Amino acid sequence: MTTTTARQTPPVKGKPLKRKTEPICYIAPIILFVAVVAAWALFVSASGISRTILPSPFAIFREMSKNFVRDILPHLLFTLRVILTGYAVAVPLGILIAAVCSQYRIIIKATTPLIILLVVTPMITMVPLFMLWMGFDSKVRVIVVILQATPIICLNTLTGFTTTEGAKLELMRAMGATRLQTFVKLIFPNALPQVFTGLKLGCIFSTIAAMSADLAAGKEGLGYRIQQYSSLIMTEMAYGTILIVALIGIVLFQIVVMIERRVILWVR
Amino acid sequence: MSNAKIRLVGLNKLFHTRFQTIEAVRNVDMEFAAGDFVSIIGPSGCGKSTIIRMIDDLIKPTSGEIFIDGRRVSPHRRIPPEVIRKIGFIFQQPNMYPWMTVRENVMLPLRVFGLRDPEWARHADALIEMTGLREQRHAYPTELSGGSMQRAGVIRAMVHKPDILLMDEPFGALDEMTREQLNLELLDIWRATGKTIVFITHSVQEAVLLSNRVYVMGTNPGRVVDEIAVDLPRPRNLKLIVSDRFAGYCELLTGRIGQVELSQIK
Ligand SMILES: Nc1ncnc2c1ncn2[C@@H]1O[C@H](COP(=O)(O)OP(=O)(O)OP(=O)(O)O)[C@@H](O)[C@H]1O
Ligand SMILES: [Mg+2]
Repeated sequence: MTTTTARQTPPVKGKPLKRKTEPICYIAPIILFVAVVAAWALFVSASGISRTILPSPFAIFREMSKNFVRDILPHLLFTLRVILTGYAVAVPLGILIAAVCSQYRIIIKATTPLIILLVVTPMITMVPLFMLWMGFDSKVRVIVVILQATPIICLNTLTGFTTTEGAKLELMRAMGATRLQTFVKLIFPNALPQVFTGLKLGCIFSTIAAMSADLAAGKEGLGYRIQQYSSLIMTEMAYGTILIVALIGIVLFQIVVMIERRVILWVR
Repeated sequence: MSNAKIRLVGLNKLFHTRFQTIEAVRNVDMEFAAGDFVSIIGPSGCGKSTIIRMIDDLIKPTSGEIFIDGRRVSPHRRIPPEVIRKIGFIFQQPNMYPWMTVRENVMLPLRVFGLRDPEWARHADALIEMTGLREQRHAYPTELSGGSMQRAGVIRAMVHKPDILLMDEPFGALDEMTREQLNLELLDIWRATGKTIVFITHSVQEAVLLSNRVYVMGTNPGRVVDEIAVDLPRPRNLKLIVSDRFAGYCELLTGRIGQVELSQIK
């Protein structure tokens, strides 16, 4: 009896529920990271594996801290700019395309295969083509990012826009709401969780796309750096740069997660 | 021509599904006078929701006519804004938007109808106050009890001061005590505002307690089988429920619904 009543205690009235994150949730990724690094270091020293295949994490850290500012930072900034510019275009573009498509069932049906085609096309295979058309400056890279990120953002957003509960739509209809009102007051906010899924995947796809563009050609960017280090057998630097790329992805992803927490207050 | 607030003439509604055609409503005539409180009662699937949804233009009848304030609702076009503004619709579920606070939900019709005058916001706040939701007005709907949420649903439907309230089993999902409480609150609102209320219910007691008149419906096809005037004194309260006359009306209604169901078995 007492346990059930305790469970049914209503939340504090007039205050939105806050999702409490236990401290352990913040430390857990750090613990895992330390464990992985330790296991890695242990493996390298125990197996005596060649440093050209897998260098130890400490060697990577040493080389990176020596060369970071001079050899990596400019390329990091360059690649970051490409990612952010492309992403900044892809987000509104993806959402806009989804908004337009969602208005008519026939357009959804017609465009969905095309969008999926774009999602699964690795843009690295397209870069040589783009270079034929446009030469190779940073604009091409931005376009590669846009082409890779927009479809995934669009696809997720479109799912959100087209899965509005019937009863919620009826409420709008019962008020004689216009198409625009229905979209602004209902369809868009209702889809926000899926929109954010798209935005999160978009970060990752943007980062991957920027790498692809770097690898394909050019003399700038982290991808170019990775390729160069590999061919020079500077394995520590190659791995270090890969980790930097991963870090970009993680940070961008977390920024979107933080914004999501601020926007979507009503879940749970 | 009568001066009914709402008049339904020979309404039919067929639903075509993949496997069959369902005759949800056959040849329904109903009339709701201005300021009247009328219930529609009947077994599940007899087309109660279908009727009320046709009145609110959520679905179009297959044939027949609907008049609101003497104006015929076109079978082809959406009901015009000035007519839809006269109606408030209360759903079976609270149907709140979870991303809006209680107050934002209640104010939603004002936004959609473009009623921006601060006077309207004050009216919304007064309704929130009246239904005891003041403390919770900045909470999200999921934090409310079922009863509070349905209260919010009721005042959202009347925030733009419609003449007509269409209520589709609004308290059906609530426990007995909350339901009685909300019934009494509804009677207060009705007495204070004089709205025309069309109230759908499964509950005979609810129908007798609230209404002036009850339409009894039967299934297969959904149709009106009886119309009973409830001649009990007003204002009504819970004391009425234990009176003999109340019990008499309940028995009468139960009998009518029972007969309907029996005739279907045959
Ligand atoms: N959109 C629809 N498509 C197909 N059939 C429908 C649809 N809406 C209702 N029906 C059918 O029409 C009939 C009447 O449904 P309706 O919802 O009006 O019943 P009801 O009297 O409100 O029932 P309840 O008391 O269970 O809410 C039912 O047989 C139902 O299956
Ligand atoms: Mg129903």
